[in-house]
Order: sequence, then C-alpha cells, then structure tokens
Amino acid sequence: MDHFFLLVWHALLVSTFFAFLWRREPRDRVRLFAKSFLLMVGGGIALGWLMYPFP
Amino acid sequence: MSEGKGKDSAGKPEASAAAGGRAPIGLLALTWLVPGLGHWVLGRRTRAVVFCAVIVAGFITGVALDGELGIPKSGSPFSWLAAFACVGNGVLYALRLLWVNGLTLLSSEVPFGLGGGGDPMAVGFSYGNTFLYTSGLMNLLAVLDVSDIARGAKD
Repeated sequence: MDHFFLLVWHALLVSTFFAFLWRREPRDRVRLFAKSFLLMVGGGIALGWLMYPFP
Repeated sequence: MSEGKGKDSAGKPEASAAAGGRAPIGLLALTWLVPGLGHWVLGRRTRAVVFCAVIVAGFITGVALDGELGIPKSGSPFSWLAAFACVGNGVLYALRLLWVNGLTLLSSEVPFGLGGGGDPMAVGFSYGNTFLYTSGLMNLLAVLDVSDIARGAKD
C-alpha cells in the first residue's frame, strides 16, 4: 500500500462516517462526503508539496 | 434512503418527551463495545451498518499496517491519550489485546505491562496508529450520537 492510497482510504472512511453522522438526507450526505473527501485529499497533496522544499 | 424523520416545520428535530433526560447507560455501553449496535437498536439501520463497516475497516487497516494499540505507560502522558483513542474501538480493542498478549493479559498488571502489538520498524507503523486512533474516536462520536438520539435531542 503506498502513501497516496492510504491517504485516499483514510479520507474515504472519515468522510463517509461524518456524512452519515452529520447529515440525514441522502443528497446532503453526498454533498458533505464529496466536500470533505476532496478537502482531505487535496489538502494532503497540497501540504505534501508545501513541505517538499524542507529537509 | 433517508432516515430523517420527526422534523418540525422549521426543519429542526422534534423534541421528544424524553428530551433533556438521560440516555440508557447500557445502550451507550453496547454502542461502544460493538460499533453500530446502538444505532441498530434505535432503528437507525443504515447508519448502524455504515458506522460498523467504517470503524471495523479502519481498525483492520490499522492492524494490517502494523500499528500499535495505545497502552497507558507511566511517565508518558501521550500514551494515555493514545490509549483513550484506541479504547474507543470497544470489543475490537479487547480482542486485539488478547491476540497480542494471550493469556498473560489476565495475569499482568492491567493497564500497565501489556503489549500493544505492531512493529515500530514497519513502514506503515505511523499510518497504522493513525487508523487505530481514528476508528476509536469515530466510535466514541457514534456513542455520543446514540446518546443524542436516545434523549430525543437528535433524529
């Protein structure tokens, strides 16, 4: 399992959990899931690049 | 497949007669021990299945990556936080402890002196720990959700 896969897998699990915890309507759940999933994956990649120049 | 029901005209959950009361301790304990069971008992079947699947999947991933269960260690305050997060996994935590420690679990000075499994030299060690902590904390949030539902504060 590479790092990116683990990042995506973790984001998938956490986003699914919070979508079902915080929203009741299917449409709202899908929206929250998509938003948090993309934020976690995109944020992880962005942070990775930001840390790239540092030893 | 909406589970949303009992909303008033303002879209807020109805306050049931039990609102403000206490959630049954047994129900909360069940939810903690077996992820999703509390939601299942309360009739929130979809949430029960999803929570159970997500928490068990996270825990298994953590173990598969050689993550270490949090065990309290004297003189190490952070180990207590890790233990708190991992204990949230309920029966999964107990089964993993039993798997790692065998029957010495019964004779050791609980909670000290136990092994949490895992391999600090493994590539996935830190990732495994993260998955174990996350699944435990998610289960604790599920317990709070059950408490809210049982009190009528939430649908």
